[in-house]
Amino acid sequence: MKAKPGTKLGFIALGLAVAFAFGWFRTNQVVGIPEDRTLFVVGWVAAILFGIAAFVRGTRWFGGIAAVVAIVIGVFLPFTVSISKQDVGAGAIQVGDVLPQFEAIDEFGETFNSASLQGQLVLIKFFRAHW
Amino acid sequence: MSTDSVEELQNGRDAHGIQAIMLADFDLGVTDAFGLRNTLFHSAPPSDEQEALPVPATLLVDRDGTVLWMEISENYQRRSGPEVVLAAIEEHLG
Repeated sequence: MKAKPGTKLGFIALGLAVAFAFGWFRTNQVVGIPEDRTLFVVGWVAAILFGIAAFVRGTRWFGGIAAVVAIVIGVFLPFTVSISKQDVGAGAIQVGDVLPQFEAIDEFGETFNSASLQGQLVLIKFFRAHW
Repeated sequence: MSTDSVEELQNGRDAHGIQAIMLADFDLGVTDAFGLRNTLFHSAPPSDEQEALPVPATLLVDRDGTVLWMEISENYQRRSGPEVVLAAIEEHLG
């Protein structure tokens, strides 16, 4: 049977992709992703390159699956990095501004009016995710 | 302040033991009043019904309604820890 040197490369690709993805989700869980995420991106790009190399060198079917999974991970996670930037418009509230009046529904289904905050020290958190 | 429904807020309160006032801003009306709607790529799961989300932000407001300090996350994958907020409280309120 003809040797398929790419098979090993496919599994190396998968190992790299999974290892860096695991590290990514672990740091994400503790909201500790570093400002410089170059190391993660380099790891995933390496996974993509090994995955492509697997097909170039010729791989068995299971090595090919490993390579495809590695390439998908290696493309998707850096994509999430590229779209993670947030920005507000020009009219965003700033330090020194007065709190705008607002109404919202609280967790008991009752209407909350911001006027009730007058005279109190207040910490307001806008939460992007879901509880 | 989040885009959760009232039911989701109740579930969150029960799950996390939250003692703060939790408000539902599902139409982003309050978010827009503060100008904190994210204007860049809306990166949320396809299952999420929201078409936009607020930028993660924390504001410290004085008794007269003046914003003393605020922090806006430039990246939703990175957030400051509670020590940053505590330091701001200590700095502005003694």
